[in-house]
Amino acid sequence: MRRILLWCLVSALALPLLAVPPKDTLIIGARTDIIVDLDPARTYEVFTNLIIEQYYDALVNIVMDQGEVVAKPGLAQSWEVSEDGLTWTFHLRRGAKFHSGREVTADDVIYSFTRSLSLNFAPIWILSQYVPDPSMIKKIDDYTVSITTKQPVAELIIASVVGFQGICSIVDSELVKAHATENDPWANQWLKTHDAGSGPFILVEWTPNERIILDRFDEYWAGPAGVKRIIFIDIPEPAAQKLALDRGDIDIAWDLLPEQVDLYRSAPGFTVIEGPSWSIEYLAMNAGKPPFDNPLVREAIRWAIDYDAIIYGIQKGAAMPGQTFIPAGMFGHLPETPFHKDIEKAKALLAQAGYAEGFEVEMLTSTHPRRVAIATQVQADLAQIGIKVNITQMVSAQFYELYRAQKHTFLVAGWGVDYADPDALAKPFAHCCTTGPEAPVRQLAWRNMYVDCETTALVEAAAKELDAEKRRAMYEEIQRRILHNGPYVILYYPLNQVVTREVVKGLVLNPMLSFTEFWPVAKTG
Amino acid sequence: MLGYIARRLIWMLLVLWGVMTITFFVARVIPADPVGAILGPQAPPEAIERERERLGLNRPIYVQYIRYIFDLLRGDLGISLRTRRPVLQDIAQFFPATAELALSAFLIGVVLGISVGVVSAVYPGRVIDHASRVFAIVGLSMPAFWLGLLLLLGFYYKLGWLPGPGQLPYWMPRPPRVTGFLFVDALLAHDWSALTSYLKHLVMPAFTLGWISTASIARITRASMLEVLREEYIKTARMKGLKESGVVMKHAFKNALLPIITVVGIRLASLLEGAVLTETVFAWPGLGRYATHSFLSIDFNAVVGVAIFTAFLYAFCNLAVDLLYAYLNPKIRYV
Repeated sequence: MRRILLWCLVSALALPLLAVPPKDTLIIGARTDIIVDLDPARTYEVFTNLIIEQYYDALVNIVMDQGEVVAKPGLAQSWEVSEDGLTWTFHLRRGAKFHSGREVTADDVIYSFTRSLSLNFAPIWILSQYVPDPSMIKKIDDYTVSITTKQPVAELIIASVVGFQGICSIVDSELVKAHATENDPWANQWLKTHDAGSGPFILVEWTPNERIILDRFDEYWAGPAGVKRIIFIDIPEPAAQKLALDRGDIDIAWDLLPEQVDLYRSAPGFTVIEGPSWSIEYLAMNAGKPPFDNPLVREAIRWAIDYDAIIYGIQKGAAMPGQTFIPAGMFGHLPETPFHKDIEKAKALLAQAGYAEGFEVEMLTSTHPRRVAIATQVQADLAQIGIKVNITQMVSAQFYELYRAQKHTFLVAGWGVDYADPDALAKPFAHCCTTGPEAPVRQLAWRNMYVDCETTALVEAAAKELDAEKRRAMYEEIQRRILHNGPYVILYYPLNQVVTREVVKGLVLNPMLSFTEFWPVAKTG
Repeated sequence: MLGYIARRLIWMLLVLWGVMTITFFVARVIPADPVGAILGPQAPPEAIERERERLGLNRPIYVQYIRYIFDLLRGDLGISLRTRRPVLQDIAQFFPATAELALSAFLIGVVLGISVGVVSAVYPGRVIDHASRVFAIVGLSMPAFWLGLLLLLGFYYKLGWLPGPGQLPYWMPRPPRVTGFLFVDALLAHDWSALTSYLKHLVMPAFTLGWISTASIARITRASMLEVLREEYIKTARMKGLKESGVVMKHAFKNALLPIITVVGIRLASLLEGAVLTETVFAWPGLGRYATHSFLSIDFNAVVGVAIFTAFLYAFCNLAVDLLYAYLNPKIRYV
């Protein structure tokens, strides 16, 4: 015992050796406490799906290639659609292996989709809106699978849906079945913490709120990854992430604040990696309630906001200007930004709407500091046209309760893209033909009681259109309508930003952050 | 004595039931939708409905309450809406890290706090007294969050004397989890390098958390000691020619202990609250962060579970302090 104590004392007093991360290990400091479950049928949060992306594979890979997001072959080497646009046939890659050593076959694809549809967890709507029933997925032979959709869908939609890492990740059916029980026939409990994937890394350890360790899978079909091991260490506080990066204890700081990222732009030894994020920061006005039931009032608000103050003052430039709901870089984006701060014009519109004296309105925001800052800026901007904004802060659980029940009047919020097709945005932002509970899509347009059956029909038609150019024109039209009539003020598209040590090479951030791949990342020192 | 303890335990159960009931209803009557918030802003309403049904939250509130009581009697605190694991399992997972941190902070607080308090009482008005009062005031007023970052900046970033956030270096395998207490698990596994690394990692968070306790314990110790040192029997002891150290430690300190013990007991239980910020800054995988997340997301079962657990800790510490009174002062008798 005395020896142990002596050893502890000596070691504790000794200066800790500087531990430089080994060359073949990538250390990422990140806030990992969002991860609560690693069953791909259930994961829906961006950071959890980012982890899933590294050790599972899907039929299609949604990757960033030369500035564009494209669908590339994943476990499926090729695919084609039937003439009626209803049946998609996927040809699987031969020789792709699960981490267990088994080859990936059509049976695994059918099992994975059936499993996700049967478990019916929250994100399943992404698949079930087009493929609601497991019987619509059929095995043609060991290496061929057909998926029938309930309506014709464009190629980018089906590719981005079956490429969705999570519900459409392909699991090792034999391995999962071996852990099924009578009460848990889909082995949900087991898969929460275990790996049944075929991706470029293998899940070795997940200790909640501590770390996630992934080791390279040497038999990955596209070749082994650039680093042998990735360790995600939980460092929730951005300032602590910065210190660890500066000390060289981590290679990548994942959650720095924009003002911290700026400090590295000219700092030797570090690289700032940033790119557009397919998400939107916006103000919502409930078009079912006065005064926002008047389109002129909504237009007046759009002319009263100081967009630059929000982008450069609050977001410190970590944002792309944009006023349409399909962000820049995404198929169908309409690059129109007509609005800027014009107090006179805003006042004139208000007067025309019958509110020359302004009005008083409550604005809801979550307690997130950035949203509160935006709300404060909007309050100051609208005061200049006679509108008195009273800000009410609340935790997310209360905020979304009111928003989902259409009980708000005015609020600030954000939205991310669920799958890499404009359909994922057109439906929430522009699909609403009735404000009742019978509406098939009860997302943003519905929550803001913005009824526009003509645009809704256009959203439906655009999803079915197989001609890409016609489809692009349809989405541009939808955005144009929403831009001037809709219940939103689109403020900006945030940027994804991380800072790495300069020895880290090959990291490209996908605009849908969860699709970012660490497979091509390597370290030079 | 035994009868007293039995009565206190029954009271403790009543307190726990009260805490459980109040938290259970308060959490549920807040106009909020934790399921919707946990599933995210983009989850469609059907998915939220399904999840509510799965969790039994669509039943009338009294049915949920009765069901919860029956589950509780079987030792089941329910499933956390956020982590989707049994709340008891979550507490067992995260409490050991907090307990080790809080106990270390407590030790620092008691040893430093009492020493500083005694010294400044013995030398009132002198430089050392002023210095210790400044130390106490700074400790009480400096937010743990800020202090933690300053320590990291100084001892980790600038000087490199102590390791950064976390419990172990990222590359070091964790000893097999037996008790969940890393110190104990490392000892059981004879993993000395993990043990020493862990102790080094523990220094800054423990000091950050401990300083607040140090400050309040030092203040109460000083006040209590000053009062006792003015007593007649101390003068008598000095007149008898006893050594000053003997007068202070044997005669004064022992009699000044009762109020100190009260503060110490309260501090021990309240370390759990202070742990939240310390755990965030130092990436400590403890219950403080779990509790904060649960409260912010109004995770019904986790909120009630953590409330019961914290109430239990408070009640237990209070009982321990009361029993300690009797031990320290034979005049106190519990019947």
